[in-house]
Amino acid sequence: MNSKRLISFLLFAPLIVSSCGTKEESNTGKARISYNCAANALEIRHLQDELASFADSTGVEINLQPFTGQEKLYAMIAAGQPPDIFYTNNVLRDRLAAEGRLLDMRSLSAGDPFVERFWPDMYRQGFSLDSGLYSIANWNFTAGVYYNKELFDNAGLRYPDTSWTWNDLLDAARRIAAEKKAGGEPEHYGLFIPGHFVEIFELMNGAPVQERSLFLNLSEASLEVYRHYLALMNDHLMPDFRRMQAMGMQASQLLQTGKVAMLIEAVPHQVLFETLTIRWGVAPIPRFGTRPVRCFRSESGGLSISSQTSNTQAAWKALKWIIAGASVYQPNPVLRDADFVAGWEARYPRLIGSGFREVWQWSLKHPGGDPRFFVRFSSWTSASIMERLQPLLDKLWNRETTVEALAASQPEINRAARTALDRLIQRGTLRQEFVTAIQQQLLQAPP
Amino acid sequence: MSGSRSYGRNPRALGTLVRSGAVYVILAVISAGFLLPLAWMLSVSLQDARGVFAQPFAWIPPQMRWENYADVATLIPLGRYLLNTVIVTGLVLCGTLLSCSLVAYGFSRIRFRGRTVLFALCLSTMMLPGQVTMIPLYVLFSRLGWVDTLWPLIIPSFFGSPFYIFLLRQFFLTIPREYDEAARLDGAGRFRVYWSIILPLARPALITVVLFTFIGTWNDFFTPLIYINSPGHATLTLGLNLLKSQIVGTGMTQWHLLMAAACMVMIPNILLFTLAQKYLVKGIAMGGLR
Repeated sequence: MNSKRLISFLLFAPLIVSSCGTKEESNTGKARISYNCAANALEIRHLQDELASFADSTGVEINLQPFTGQEKLYAMIAAGQPPDIFYTNNVLRDRLAAEGRLLDMRSLSAGDPFVERFWPDMYRQGFSLDSGLYSIANWNFTAGVYYNKELFDNAGLRYPDTSWTWNDLLDAARRIAAEKKAGGEPEHYGLFIPGHFVEIFELMNGAPVQERSLFLNLSEASLEVYRHYLALMNDHLMPDFRRMQAMGMQASQLLQTGKVAMLIEAVPHQVLFETLTIRWGVAPIPRFGTRPVRCFRSESGGLSISSQTSNTQAAWKALKWIIAGASVYQPNPVLRDADFVAGWEARYPRLIGSGFREVWQWSLKHPGGDPRFFVRFSSWTSASIMERLQPLLDKLWNRETTVEALAASQPEINRAARTALDRLIQRGTLRQEFVTAIQQQLLQAPP
Repeated sequence: MSGSRSYGRNPRALGTLVRSGAVYVILAVISAGFLLPLAWMLSVSLQDARGVFAQPFAWIPPQMRWENYADVATLIPLGRYLLNTVIVTGLVLCGTLLSCSLVAYGFSRIRFRGRTVLFALCLSTMMLPGQVTMIPLYVLFSRLGWVDTLWPLIIPSFFGSPFYIFLLRQFFLTIPREYDEAARLDGAGRFRVYWSIILPLARPALITVVLFTFIGTWNDFFTPLIYINSPGHATLTLGLNLLKSQIVGTGMTQWHLLMAAACMVMIPNILLFTLAQKYLVKGIAMGGLR
């Protein structure tokens, strides 16, 4: 190496080394809490603008870690360096709690007026099998029927409201789908229910939500809804679900293009709010006959605190601020004292008069539980259950099997779930409280 | 006209023309299939926020929004991410070329006891999926205090990669040993032979390694995702993730900006591949001769 190269190397090497970075250490004497959050650039900017004043007022510095992923979280936990606060869905939360990775927040929340601010159904969802509190909901949504006002007007139909029933929906769908193209296909289909929203109708039809169950229980109410769902496709009131899936067609496109007149989707739904250019409204999910109204309300997981956090009080303060203080998350629908509807109408003026307010208030008035707590979606056994149930559901929507055959497969699916649970217990990684709770369910479950 | 007359007289030539024409048409259709996502990306990058959801989709935007490319830089620190990526890619290239070529030289030129076993052992590490080594590596780097720095993205490349070692070894075996012997007669040591004889002759293979490594490192999302926590240490691929909508509150994903950023990130890959593709084929072909 000649001298010129050596000098260049000596000049550039420290520059590169320093660019590779060193870990930032806090030297302010404040408690430092890491928050692993899925956030985009704009959200990070909003959060960081407020973090300094939060640190000054509470003595807690929050270090944002905006890159998330389950593999990353597992690696961090394995290395003994998990973030203090992170998002967990229901399945992950139960797993980590059972392994002792999460802090039971009951001692922190007891007597804290913060807890009183929550809608009870939202707060309740953070409890796990051992009755410990392992996550706090930070978001929730309901579901509704988005409809194309123009197609309703053309068919001479009145817009749906809180009084309408499944039969009203069918009637509207039939009248809209009456006009046919040359091939016999309707000019406009009546409605579209994405496959992952069928459970909303199961809920409305009275299917029991067994929140901490470990075994599949397809009640007659669920099976009846499956028959209705198939009938919608057979009667050409709804485009073929599997075909839509195969075509990769977005549900919002179906509504926007007039291919369907009604669409069941989440409320609120930002993509719909920002992209629909048609005249649209949204109505509650219709009830089944005289059955009581049970609205879908899901919190889809929440924020958990690591059991390895060095300062539980600081982590609790930070968590409370994230949920109820950080402006980017406000108005937060999990809080009773937040005017969620007004906040969203201010953000999206098109929502005023759209039915959004009515749908939201209806869901608050008739919380029906979260059908995502059907064991097939939210349990240690859900992987084992879905592995067997999903192919059968696919076949059912394809009309290659019957509802009765699907129901008959339950014992076999539950046997596999039982085996999975036995293996889990034998692994010896679960805390005793969880082992006991699982064993109790194993004893009570049908053989 | 003379051409068409000759085809008219020679049915075999006409058949060849038709066949090759058909092949070109088929290839063009297949290429179009591959290019479609790229065309979509480019088109969306020049539209406004609603363009991606428009029905029907406008492949040629009614109004070109070149400012999308500038807007990206106002949302994320693109310069910082570019610098991080260039540093990581540059050092990974140095590490990979040095370590792999040196190991490959040893396996191809130096006879020692257990060489075959060691080479087989080296190749067998290719069978280990990344997920298996992810957590032990993370624990290691965490003990070293290197998590949330660029070092975990760089340092492993200095310990060789079995695929590149294999590729280079195969190429080195095609270089006649007489060159080494001549150099040794002139007094060159093993390292001099490696540096002054083997490496210059192995340029096509080295360029192949450079290409693969560059594309792999430049586009790597998973490794930075695992090791980087702070936005300031992100690479370009990780930074692009910050343009996605994450929570409800700040609107949906700005697809037009995300696609504009993705187009910019792709440029070095396309340039490098265009410039060096002939070496890529040559390097792989010659590496497989032995």
